[in-house]
Amino acid sequence: MSDNVSDRKLSMTVNGRKISRPMDGNYRLLDFLREELHLTGAKEGCGAGECGTCSVFVDGKLVKSCLMPTAKAEGAEIQTVEGLAPRGELTVLQRAFHKTGASQCGYCIPGMVMAATSALRANPFADIEEIKERLGGNICRCTGYTKIFEAVELARDILNGQIPATALDAESAGNSFIGNNVRRLDAPSKVSGQLKYAGDMIMPDMVHMQVLRSPHAHARIVSIDTSRAEALEGVACVVTAADVPGIDGFGVFVHDQPVMAREKVRYVGEAVAAVAAETVEIARQALSLIDVAYEPLPGLFDAEKALEPGAPVIHDYAPDNIVKHIPVRKGDVAKGFAEADLIVENTYTTQQVEHAYLEPEAGLAYVDHDGVVTVISPSQNITHHRHMLAEIIAKPINKVRFIMSPVGGGFGGKEDMIYQGMLALAAMKSGRPVRLIYSREESIATTAKRHPSIVTYKMGLTKDGRITAVTFRMLADGGAYGMSTEGVMRKAAILSLGPYDIENCTIDTIGVYTNNTPSGAFRTFGGMQAQFATESHLDICAEKLGLDPFEIRRRNMMVPGSLTHTRQRLENVSIGQVLDVAESFSRWERGAPTSRGATRNDLGGPDVRDACTLGARFREIVENKSKEVA
Amino acid sequence: MLSYGTYLLPGTLKEALEAVATLPPGGRVLAGATDIVPYAREGRGGDVHLPVVVDLSRVAEFKGHQVGPGTVRLNASLVFQDFLEDATLREHLPCMPHCAIWFADDQVREQATLAGNIANASPAADGVPPLLAMNGMVELARLEGREVARRSLRLDDFIQGPGKSALAPGELITAVTVESMRGYGGSFQKVGQRRSLVISKVSAAALVKTDPSGTRFEDVRLAIGGVGPVPVRLTDIEAMLNGQPITRRLVAEAGAIPADRVASRSMVEYRKRVVSGFVAAAIEDALVACGAPMPTDADREEAHV
Repeated sequence: MSDNVSDRKLSMTVNGRKISRPMDGNYRLLDFLREELHLTGAKEGCGAGECGTCSVFVDGKLVKSCLMPTAKAEGAEIQTVEGLAPRGELTVLQRAFHKTGASQCGYCIPGMVMAATSALRANPFADIEEIKERLGGNICRCTGYTKIFEAVELARDILNGQIPATALDAESAGNSFIGNNVRRLDAPSKVSGQLKYAGDMIMPDMVHMQVLRSPHAHARIVSIDTSRAEALEGVACVVTAADVPGIDGFGVFVHDQPVMAREKVRYVGEAVAAVAAETVEIARQALSLIDVAYEPLPGLFDAEKALEPGAPVIHDYAPDNIVKHIPVRKGDVAKGFAEADLIVENTYTTQQVEHAYLEPEAGLAYVDHDGVVTVISPSQNITHHRHMLAEIIAKPINKVRFIMSPVGGGFGGKEDMIYQGMLALAAMKSGRPVRLIYSREESIATTAKRHPSIVTYKMGLTKDGRITAVTFRMLADGGAYGMSTEGVMRKAAILSLGPYDIENCTIDTIGVYTNNTPSGAFRTFGGMQAQFATESHLDICAEKLGLDPFEIRRRNMMVPGSLTHTRQRLENVSIGQVLDVAESFSRWERGAPTSRGATRNDLGGPDVRDACTLGARFREIVENKSKEVA
Repeated sequence: MLSYGTYLLPGTLKEALEAVATLPPGGRVLAGATDIVPYAREGRGGDVHLPVVVDLSRVAEFKGHQVGPGTVRLNASLVFQDFLEDATLREHLPCMPHCAIWFADDQVREQATLAGNIANASPAADGVPPLLAMNGMVELARLEGREVARRSLRLDDFIQGPGKSALAPGELITAVTVESMRGYGGSFQKVGQRRSLVISKVSAAALVKTDPSGTRFEDVRLAIGGVGPVPVRLTDIEAMLNGQPITRRLVAEAGAIPADRVASRSMVEYRKRVVSGFVAAAIEDALVACGAPMPTDADREEAHV
């Protein structure tokens, strides 16, 4: 008998049922629950014990199942989110999550429900600080946690009989959903772990994909030899750019990105080849058998350098490395600066930012009985993806289908078709359903980010703070491929000056190619970078002029009838109200930024978060002791 | 990803030692497993295959703790959550709930053992500064022939450098014995990049006992971690405080000293700035925990040196 644990059957009690199954390569308890028992309520968000979405009870203790070797759980009693309530029912806590709207994308929610269940089991009277502390091992990227905490407090009070269970019922929406508390239709499936994200789906005969990625930022591909990988037992197929039958290019605006690197690689982590195999383990082994010969090329990592003559060219079609330049002109800037009493110049830079949605990229592709190439993925742009894929695989549009699986957080990061093409090619080549799930590391290293930007500002102002002219130049690092850069540059140009009425302005937003990780869509789509520059600049100008920062904004804000730099005549403008509310809520002390009153009104209010402390669950004990001694 | 061939779950110390004595190259002993699985990932260990795993979590002798005269013996399977939940441990080891609450999160604390934290010998190990402050002794066992042989080492002799300990091949940590600190005020300070689940940049543990009047330091224990190759005890500062009247100024002066001890390879300036206020805060919190009044912001401001 082999002592290899993978061949042995493991016995456990899972959600009250005794099971005995081979481990079959599912080395972590999370994999065993998901792949062997099909309990996909526990999700993988990070695989490193950081995010908590894989939380399950093992012998009554909440653990992160991504950290637990399956064999460690031999003989244990396991409870997953699916086992909290009888089938078709929800616990009070799950219903509270439904009621408060605590689930948005839902991907963290099974783990949140488990952690909250554990918190109330440990202390049914836990106060809000203790609840927060006990949920500290779980990450949510959508809610800001507030609605989750509300749900836990609501459930606690109902379970303790302090408020009636009817508080969980739907409220009447009256004549309008606006202004009324409406429960989400999809919440029950999320709080119970029933909702299937792409990575939760399985099909008969399905194979698993792993991707070989470029170690070079910029290199010519001399050759790719996949023969050893293809010969490995258990490999269904290997795909490279050579398998693309149609026009190999995708992108939200310019179709400059091949499904997998073609002729050269342009960033570290770019897909070069992909393997579909019986198991993830075999697919990974096959990756190590693919031989790629590279000839390194000079790399380009700085957006300013991209514009210099003689800079390495990333795409032949764009010898100047410019993805998109959006110029906007209004009025007479020279005249405006001549009228100014003060000219303030400054540069503002922002960094690359990762979306960090809890659900890493995942997809499942197959070719159906009618030869329709079908891709299931959390795509934020399925219709566009469908049209692009039809061109890439040279099929009529009626032979390509995209199914949008629930998006476990997108924030713009799932607008680009970065892996769906590989899946389709592998499904076509192998004739089998193919599933790909990114690791968190892969997701962070290889998918699009927020554009890093450099904004150069020049502003002319009169002594009383009226802006006479602006030149605004944003240089954004688009990385190796165009993706959403064109749209982001356009939006950045439109939003550049914020809600301020400026007569004379020159605006340029320029997105360039480099060998950095591609930049793509990310919440605000260029607005954040522009506003960071504009609002910071106004504060600095206020300081130089000795003006209250609210006042300088009020003197320049748009009003009904203002003409924007893009020639839009505004009918309604709310910036005045926004400033009033911001000023009163922040308990702003009037005056120039350099002034400071005797007391700080902004600190210590009921809406101000205290400094980070921990220990709510034993603080009471210490405080009591403290009194005793005193 | 992590994979393994044979997975052993010995039930007794003897079985565990036998398994460890015959561990093949590449084999691995683990307890909570909360470090090895994240290690076996892209960018760190990559794909890691362990031909044999010896999982110590079911060894009967490793469970629980024993309170002796003036000492507490913490057996090897004790997990960080126990320091929060066990009333006896809270009473005898008053800095440990503070340490445990800053250590990882509830889920990881249920698995991660104090012995594993020591065995890894990380310069940033949260469990080590408090154990140093409690004069921790590490108990080790190995097989000699068919008999179990044991030895004990001071914790500061056991931890020799980053990832380096005195653990010999075939040897296991069976327990850590510390002095009972009943009646002391305890505290633990930590700074990292987020609140939960973070590796310390700097940590500090303090245990303070005052004279019966509450006006004089009787015994102060201080240790810091994350600022050099190994966590260290601050014996000179302890000596400076012991027997002295408790004043904010003295505490602040004591807190300013450890900045010179920062011997990390990275973020030295940052660590220096953090560690000074930090040790003062550790002492203040420990004083509060043994009944001294909470220092006001004005107190802190005045004492700032």
